[in-house]
Order: sequence, then structure tokens, then C-alpha cells
Amino acid sequence: MIGNYFKTALRNILKHKSYSLINIIGLSIGIACFVLIGLYIADEMSYDRYHEKSDRIYRVVNVYDFDGVGENSASAPFPVAFTLKNEYPGLIKNVVRIFDFQVSRSLVEYKDKSFNEKNLFFADSTFFDIFDYKFVKGDPETALQEANSVVITETAARKYFGDEEPMGKVLRYDDRVNLKVTGLIRDVPLQSHFQFSLVASMSTVRQITRGQLPRTWVWNPCWTYVLLKEGVVPEEIEKDLPNYVNKFFYDAEKENISLYLQPLEDIHLKSKLDYEIEPNNDIGNLYILAVIAFFLLVIAAINFMNLATATSTGRSKEIGIKKVVGAYRKQIIRQFLGESILMSFFAMIVALFLIELALPAFNDFTGKEISLSLLVHPVYMGALLLITLLTGFLSGVYPAFYLSSFKPVQVLKGKVSKGAKSGKSRKVLVVMQFAISIALIISTFIAYDQISYIRNADLGFKNDDIIIVPINRTNIAEGFKEFKNELQNNPDIYSVTAMDDILGKAHNTHEFRPEGYPEDKWNFYPALVVHYDFLKTFDIKVIAGRDYSELHKTDPMKGLLINEAMVRHLGWECPEKALGKKLITIRGDERVIGVTENFNVTSLHQPAGPFALNMKEEDWSIHWFTNFMVVRHIPGKEKEVLAYLEKKWKEREGERPFEYSFLEDELSQLYEGEEKLGSLSLIFAVLIIFIASLGLFGLASFMAEQRTKEIGIRKVLGAQTLSIIKLMSFDFMKLVLIATLISWPLSYIFMDNWLENFAYRTQINLPAFVLAALIALTIAMSITSVKAYFASQTDPVDILKYE
Amino acid sequence: MIKTAELTKVFRTDEVETTALNKVSLQVDSGEFVAIMGPSGCGKSTLLNILGLLDNPSKGKYYFLEHEVSDYSEKQRARLRKQNIGFVFQNFNLIDELSVFENVELPLIYLGVNSTDRKSRVEEVLEKVKISHRKKHFPLQLSGGQQQRVAVARALVAKPHLILADEPTGNLDSSHGEEIMKMLEELNGTGTTIVMVTHSLRDAEYAQRIVRLFDGQVVTENIKAPV
Repeated sequence: MIGNYFKTALRNILKHKSYSLINIIGLSIGIACFVLIGLYIADEMSYDRYHEKSDRIYRVVNVYDFDGVGENSASAPFPVAFTLKNEYPGLIKNVVRIFDFQVSRSLVEYKDKSFNEKNLFFADSTFFDIFDYKFVKGDPETALQEANSVVITETAARKYFGDEEPMGKVLRYDDRVNLKVTGLIRDVPLQSHFQFSLVASMSTVRQITRGQLPRTWVWNPCWTYVLLKEGVVPEEIEKDLPNYVNKFFYDAEKENISLYLQPLEDIHLKSKLDYEIEPNNDIGNLYILAVIAFFLLVIAAINFMNLATATSTGRSKEIGIKKVVGAYRKQIIRQFLGESILMSFFAMIVALFLIELALPAFNDFTGKEISLSLLVHPVYMGALLLITLLTGFLSGVYPAFYLSSFKPVQVLKGKVSKGAKSGKSRKVLVVMQFAISIALIISTFIAYDQISYIRNADLGFKNDDIIIVPINRTNIAEGFKEFKNELQNNPDIYSVTAMDDILGKAHNTHEFRPEGYPEDKWNFYPALVVHYDFLKTFDIKVIAGRDYSELHKTDPMKGLLINEAMVRHLGWECPEKALGKKLITIRGDERVIGVTENFNVTSLHQPAGPFALNMKEEDWSIHWFTNFMVVRHIPGKEKEVLAYLEKKWKEREGERPFEYSFLEDELSQLYEGEEKLGSLSLIFAVLIIFIASLGLFGLASFMAEQRTKEIGIRKVLGAQTLSIIKLMSFDFMKLVLIATLISWPLSYIFMDNWLENFAYRTQINLPAFVLAALIALTIAMSITSVKAYFASQTDPVDILKYE
Repeated sequence: MIKTAELTKVFRTDEVETTALNKVSLQVDSGEFVAIMGPSGCGKSTLLNILGLLDNPSKGKYYFLEHEVSDYSEKQRARLRKQNIGFVFQNFNLIDELSVFENVELPLIYLGVNSTDRKSRVEEVLEKVKISHRKKHFPLQLSGGQQQRVAVARALVAKPHLILADEPTGNLDSSHGEEIMKMLEELNGTGTTIVMVTHSLRDAEYAQRIVRLFDGQVVTENIKAPV
């Protein structure tokens, strides 16, 4: 029986070569995309789960809320980790802090090699007890116990030591301390919420910070993780955390602070805190991709359904005969399901080739290392087979029930109306395909619109022609004033300044007590520490008062710039009235000397909020806060200025590598997630349209075949080619128009919702909708009219002779 | 073997109601060869479809092998049909995608006969209708007469008690037609009951009895047709 099914199926596939090809191409693209997206999603979902105890590891999150201003910090003050462990010995098994001096790069040297190391962290010796990394050499229990020890990944070891044995080698950190390699580990899996190349012992930090770790409860630079004891749920600790805060944090701030535990496994997809170690993905993006993957498969399956039912007249005789000689309906159903599943398996094999072809580009684009060999894994293999089966089933079930319902009496009499019964459902399916395609095109257009809106949005500061050079703990930073003056002699350079974080991307919060607030009420406000000429460099306008000026000797210690939103936040009526107001710091009073326009200090997902610009003067603070030099050049002089900067860098820093970036690039990273999603959905939208068009092509060919007699008669009666084309494409045009009407409101609602993610959003406007509809119409029109044209070109005599 | 009582079949479309069969009472005994004749549209084929369990009557009773089958479900009819009835059609109705052998094998597949038995039975019946030399060919590679022989083979292969033939020679030239009729006659000689619808008096000659239909009613039932 199976053999018979298989034979008939195979012969049918071969008999209708073009339809089979359409089906297999469509299905294989559908399956290939589905699998790719599936692998991508599986990869994203697997983040941090390679740690054996990942379900018991939590990160301590600090929420600072001062009347709506503050931060949701992924990191905590130094003392938090071990006081937590002491407070809850029955619940917490272990804790670890990860620290990076809040600098994005540190100088690491070995012999004559030196690197700006981006991925160096300090961690407590408990690090390898909580997290699992594969040790090639060394002992995870003791590797980070001693001061001046460091554990290094294989790639980093090769970078520093080449083929030499890394164990016991000594690296120089920041030209201050030595780090001896006490462990060699395999590279950190890509599926980690943070990457590191080197992790040094926390006791080394103690050496750097003169014998003891910072004991302040204000500064919160440590990413702090707790490992719960088995069977403990985080709520057991969380319910007591208010008491903990009350016991340890300073009186002035404890009312505004709360802590909670964030599951490690949630970080990569669900965490959007301040001071994340690395930017995370958004689970919403995965949902969107999953929906697209599903649609791709559905659209390919619809092609199959449509072509199978449309061409069913060809099969009706076979079905009738089989029924006459004794086939039950369920046997016929089984046969047709078998056929569609067989087709789907062919498509799966083709899909595997397509995936293999697409993977390099896909990996390149997504930054992943997905390989087809993953599919050998029983779970993935099972999933692939299941999807193939399901696709086959989904595509075949409607045709199977439809075809098997043929009454043998009618079929054998030749009475089966030529696919007319299924005509209506076929139309519904075509409308569905095009509605999905059009909606996806619209959404892609709007997403692109939003991305370009963000790129060109007025951030409140200038972001082009600006070069950023990381200079933390360099000679240049220590002698910044002189260096800046030297640079400003170059006529290609418009201005130079420095800051502690990249404007528009990241910032810290600073502790102030605004004038009129109670003695014990300290608030944390977002702020940057800057140098002279900051406003000039970034074109930020002063609306009241003045900028920092070297003419006013007290500016650095006593003067403060705030933005308009801050004026409003503090209730100071208008910018002019804010001038001269006091903001008290623990190091003395500062006064507002100027109020600027608002500018966006974070991504445009959030609105521009209150902000302060501060200057420092003491040597220690220059050392801590002069992290990025900002050089604004004359337009078009980028190359000259870069060459000049590199030359000047070498004079001061010798062999230390010169690095730079453009502010525009730094800022566009904030929207990398959206841009990737946009490009991915563009690619998939094109594929979806392609598959839908294939199906339409098949249907149109079929219709043309069906109507050859009608066309012949019409031509005999004097019809012109054009009128025949009109006649035949009109039906399809109607369907596409209906699809358009369905897709418009759907995509509007969906995209309106998506744009809610942004504080600054583009208008949803008509052109995107019209354009998408036009694209679909044009494609449908060209396919059907080409088909109709050829149909109308045949000689009516030939057509009518057939009858 | 077959007994109908006031068998009535009414076809309804949206507006028109056509009575194809009007109270047809008929009996065919085991081993008989009956020809049904009548002008186009008199209800011959409708009657044959009901007798062949391909369709249900609108009213009346139909006893097939002692079963009252007039309200059997499709599944019940299929079960009874595949074991007891073979069909021969005017337009052969072979499946183009299957070879001669596979076409003939089909009823046995649906009867659940194992493949070795199937092979020998198909070979045997192909031998009988003298077409075994063409068993690997496909229907479209055969002449009309050859196709009809394959169709007869297919009707015979399951060893049915009843063969229903719907104008079996209608699409054949006279010599091929005669060949097929001889084959049916021979078959009847070995005890198979045959009911045949035909336009041709010459073919009807082979039958023992002729039933004439007109406007859905039986008009005469002769033992032997007048030449």
C-alpha cells in the first residue's frame, strides 16, 4: 500500500514538474528560513545556561529613585556582596563581584607587546565556584585567590604569548601592577551576557586602591551575583531586602533605594538596566522573528494547498477509480497527506542545502557561530523532522480532505466542476498570503523610517565630525590641559574637550542636595564630568547664564551647568531663576552658572531627562574622570586630523596603541538591535513576497490553462489580447486589493505598538502603505498579465480543436 | 443476488428537481447476465451506480446479497463493494500514472492482499485477458481494446460475484467490442453475475434478459431480446 502511495506520489510530482518545482522551492525556502530563525532563537534563549547552576544564580539590581530621577543599576556598591552573604547565610551559598574600574579599556603589556584590553575584569576568588568555565590549565578553586593573579582565555593567551606556555607568565596591568597567569580557560562561550579575555583577582584591586577595597555604599560599580542554596527561591531573600537596605545603606539615601534579584538566565533577553556590562537583546525581537518564521512557512504551505486543490481535476479520475475499486476515504486522505509530506521532505533536503549556503552570511550578520552540524543533535534533528512533517501535514490536510470528498459517480461521469468548489477557499488563501506579505512590507518600511528618523533626529547636540579617543589613565589625560592647547593649534581642529562617558550613550549619576532640600536628603542626578569647551564642541546652546570659562578660576570647583529639564524637575520656574542656585555636594557647594537646552543623554527609547554637567580640578578626579577625549574637526578634514592625532598620541604614549571611534558610530550602536531586526525582516519580507509570487504564478498558469477554451471562443468572437489580459488579471487584482484592505489596519496597529518602544518616534504615514500595496499589485499584475498574454497568443483553432 | 423494491432517485439542484429513477423494482439472480437498455437520460447509469453501491437511492429498498443497503454509509458500501463488485466502464477509467500491472493490482491492495499473492493473482488474470505481455506499459501506450481488457482484468482480479459494465464497448470498434463481449460471456459461463448497460442491441444479444428503461421506469423485461 505504502509502495503504491509512494509510486503515485512520485509520478505525480514528476508529471506536474512546474507545479512541483514551485511547491518545493517555496517550501524549501520556508523551511530554510524557519530553521535559521529557529536556530537563532534557540541560540538567543540559551544564553548563560551553560553554567551548571544557572538557575540559582541571580544578579543584585539596585534601584535608585529620587522623585523619578535616578537609575536602575545592574551594578552595586562594593560591600553589598559579602554583607548579603553574611545576612542570609542560610539562603545564599556564595557571592561574587565583578569590577572593571568603570573604564572601557585598560592597558595590558607583555614584554614589548601592549594592548588596549577591552575585556579585562576583576573578580572575587568565588568567581569560578559560581560560574562554570572550562579550565585547560590551573585550578578553578585557587586561581583567583592570590593578589596579582589572572586567568586568561585561550584566544587572549595566543594574543599575548603566541605559542609560549601561558601559565606563570606575568602581564603588566595599567603600568601599575603585575598579573601572573594562574589559569588558562577555553574561550567564554558566545552565549554569555558578558565576554571576558582576562579575569584578575579582586585582591589585586586592593593593592591598587591602597590596601582596602572601597567601603562606600554610594559608589556602585560592582556587578554582584549571588548563588542561592538549592531549593531557595529568590523571594525568600527579596522580602527581607528592605530591612537589609535599612540596615546598611546611608540614611540620606536609603529611602530611595531598593534591591531585587534578577535571574541570570533573564539577563540577555529581558534586562535593560543602566550600566549593563554589555548591551543585551530584547525578547520582543525574538517574538517578531518567530512570527515571521511562522508566516514564511504558512505562506509556503498555502502555495501547496492552492496548487494541489487547483490541479485536483487532474487527480479526480484517479480518486474516483480508487474509490470504485474499494478505497476508503481515509485511505485516500492518507495517500494525499503522504504525498504532501513526501514533498515536504524533498523540500527539507533542499532547505538543508539552502541553509548551508546562507549560514556564513547569516552568522556574519548576526554575530553568531551557528553551524549546520547542530542539526545532528537529537533534539534539533527531532525538531527539524517534526517541522517537516508538520509542514507536510499542514499543506496536505486541506487538499486531502477536499480531494477525498469527491464522489466517484460524479468524477467518473466527468462532472467534477473544474476546481470550482475549492475556488472560494483558494481565493481566501491567496488573500491571506498577500495580506501577510503586504503587512510585512509596510512594517519593514515603517521600521526603516523609524531607524532613519532616529539617526537624523536632533539629539540636542552635534554628533558628526566628532572623533572620540579613549584616554583613561594615559599621560594625555594627566596632562590634558596642555595637550588640548597643543591640539587646538591645528587649524583643522575646531575644538577639543573631554568627558567621563560618551555623551548620548552612557553617563553616571552624581550626588547632590539641591538648595532648599532637607539636610539629609541627597539625590542622585544623571551627570557627566566634562572639561572646558564641552558645549562648544557639541554645539549645545546655553539659554541662560554662561558656559564654563577659563577666565573664572572657581568654575571647576564651584560651577555647574544643568539643562532645562533639570530646572523644571527641581521646580525652579525658569532657567533665569535657576542661575546662582546652590547644589550641595559632599565636597562643597556648587552653583548653577548656566542652563542649557535639553539634549538626549541616552538612546531615544527614553525622553531627554534632567541632566547636569560638572567639572573637576583635583588631580585624582582628573585621573578618574578624564576617560574620553573629544575632538571636533573641520568638516572634510577627518583623515588629516586622525593622522595628526595619531602622531601626537605616539609622542606622548609611545607604543600604547592609538584607538579612536566616531561619535556617530558609537551612537548608532544604540539602535543596532533595531537595525538588525529591520534588515532581517527586510530579507524575510522579500522572501515572503517571492514565495507568495511563486504561488500566484502557479495559480495564474493553472487558470490560464483552465480558461484556454474560453479564451479561444472569445478570440473567435473578436476579443483583443488586451481585453483578455484584463479579463484574466482582474480576478487576481481584486484579491490583492482585498488583501491590502486587510493588511493596512493590521500593520498600523502592530507598528504603532512597536513604535511605543521609542520616546521619539516617526509618524506612521500613508506612503509606506500605498507603496507596499503598489509593490504587491505590480508583482501580481505582471505575473498574471504575462500568463494571460501567452494564453491569449495561442491560435483559437488549436484550442478549440481539443474539444 | 440483487433485488430492488420501488427504487427511486431524485436529483436536486437549486431550482430543478429531476427524477432519474421512478419506483424501479428489479431482481437479478446469481449467475444471470442482464442487459439494461434505454434511450439517453432514461436512468440506466443511475441505476447501475446504485446497484454498484456507488450511490444511495432517495427512496425504496435495495437488497444486495441479502443486505438491505439503501442507507449504508459510504464506508459500509465501500467495504461491501470492494469484496463483491467489479466495474467495467465505457471510457476504461484506468489510472494513467499507474502501469497495467499496478492498475490491476489496485483492488487487491485495498482488500489487503499480501504482495506475493497479489503478484500471482494479477499475473493470472492478465493471462486470462491476454495482456500480460503489456503489463509494464502505461494505459496511454495501449490501444482502446487493450485498455478495456486491462479494465476487465481489474474488474475480475478480486473475484467478485457481480460485474457491472457501463457500455463496455461504447468506445471500441466492432472487432475489439466483440472481443470484450466474448470475454464477458465466458465469465458469465463460469458463474459470475453480470449487469450491463448498453445502447447496442448486438451487445445485448449476449445477455439472457433485457430490461428496458424509459424515463426512469422499467417498461419491459424480456427473457431474450428480439433481434
